[in-house]
Amino acid sequence: MPVTATRTAGNTPAREARRGVLLQLVRPVARTVPWWALAAGGGLGLLAAALPRLSGGEVTPWAGVNALRAAALCFALGAAFLLDDPARQTTAAVPVRRVLRHALRCALVLPAAAVWWSAAVLLVPEEARPPAGDVTVEAATALALALAGAAFAVRRRGAGRPGQAVAASLLVAAVLAPLLTPSEWSLFTVPGDPRWADAHGHWTLLLCAALLAVAVCCVEPVRRRTLRTLRSPSRS
Amino acid sequence: MSPTVSASGLSLHYGATRALDDVSLRLTPGVTGLLGPNGAGKTTLLRVLATAVPADRGAFTVLGHDPSTARGRQEVRRRLGYLPQTPGFHPDFTAFEFVDYVAILKELTDRSARHREVRRVLDEVGLADVRGKRIRKLSGGMRQRVALAAALVGDPAFLVLDEPTVGLDPEQRMRFRELIATAGEGRTVLLSTHQTEDVAMLCHRVVVLAGGTVRFDGTPAELTARAAGRVWSSDGRDPGALAGWRTGLGTFRNVGDPPPGADLLEPTLEDGYLLTLDGAAAEVTA
Repeated sequence: MPVTATRTAGNTPAREARRGVLLQLVRPVARTVPWWALAAGGGLGLLAAALPRLSGGEVTPWAGVNALRAAALCFALGAAFLLDDPARQTTAAVPVRRVLRHALRCALVLPAAAVWWSAAVLLVPEEARPPAGDVTVEAATALALALAGAAFAVRRRGAGRPGQAVAASLLVAAVLAPLLTPSEWSLFTVPGDPRWADAHGHWTLLLCAALLAVAVCCVEPVRRRTLRTLRSPSRS
Repeated sequence: MSPTVSASGLSLHYGATRALDDVSLRLTPGVTGLLGPNGAGKTTLLRVLATAVPADRGAFTVLGHDPSTARGRQEVRRRLGYLPQTPGFHPDFTAFEFVDYVAILKELTDRSARHREVRRVLDEVGLADVRGKRIRKLSGGMRQRVALAAALVGDPAFLVLDEPTVGLDPEQRMRFRELIATAGEGRTVLLSTHQTEDVAMLCHRVVVLAGGTVRFDGTPAELTARAAGRVWSSDGRDPGALAGWRTGLGTFRNVGDPPPGADLLEPTLEDGYLLTLDGAAAEVTA
């Protein structure tokens, strides 16, 4: 059968072909997204965000911001499974680039994540609600770190299901971060603290670094960079 | 005949472990068998040639394209089918849906033509009757055939098969041999296997890999000829043999340097393979 006749990439401009592939991939990729993990993380996150309201009594800004931080962490733990793909080995050598496949997964989840985060923020009573923009940067950073970890595991080891290990690492990092980050960074301040603005400058930097790491790790390397090759870089 | 794959000096290390060391080979249309003991570097070589992992050193081309550039790699992948050693699936997909998904990933975007192609490859691997069945409900042999169909979809010019017959019963293995033989008509197939009989039956050429290096590259007949005059029968295990085992007849089949006056036997491909491995063959005797 003249199969090449069905392959449009060679016959049409690359961008159009890529768009055609992406459109056709939406449905199958949506089915491969581990929605259960995101739902579990999201559900736990909403519960965490609602805790101050459910506990009754006056809600302090401290409780409000930390409830949202806990919510963001829960969702990020679920998102650590986003790049899990049991068919990774079977699809290891296909022409559609990994970065596009990963981007499609993220794009499919992003609208749901935005709606979820809005709901989480609204669950915190208004008087205790931290500035939405700042706390969203914190949540985005947690999400980006989870994705960076997963993308790194895929790039480094070709891992089919890196989610579990990445989620565990993220949880440990979240527990240790308040103890190990330099005190001048003051990442975990509360609204009203004079260091709040500076802290969110640092959060923004962290977010940029995490997004850069995601972008770098999503690209499949054409060359291996190991200590051995770096010591003697000549390639025959 | 111009080679489909031309590789020179391929090397790859995992930490201190040398997985491939200066491997050079040329592959032409037909089925080439890749034999070697566990840890020989077969899977690594296949993953490198399938562009799933880049080499540390060396260069290779597939159908004239250089996969050390992003564009070249993409061109190679457009002409490539790859069946990994442990293929994974999305278990909730049906066989048809999974192969269709792989077909989209291979840039077959014309829906009706693609569906025809998916049906064709599923027919070819004998899964026409179960194409609507979820993969989680298929047997191991059927899943392996789904993976082969995924490798075959898009009619690739270069097919890389990593131990496709592992875990299959004799009937399924025979069926797979037929499929691979058919796949080898008009395209280049690189078949990694532990089964010397697969190579004897299917391959026009055989490469033996051990310790990450090529120990032999020639025809199956040439590999068999290496054992000519070096296989003999005896009543007990011959201590001078590199390898020896009791046959169903109660006598011992020995491979190595025969003693004078030994009762020589007709060599097989496996004998030639064992002699090629040398040290590894000695381990068989122990």
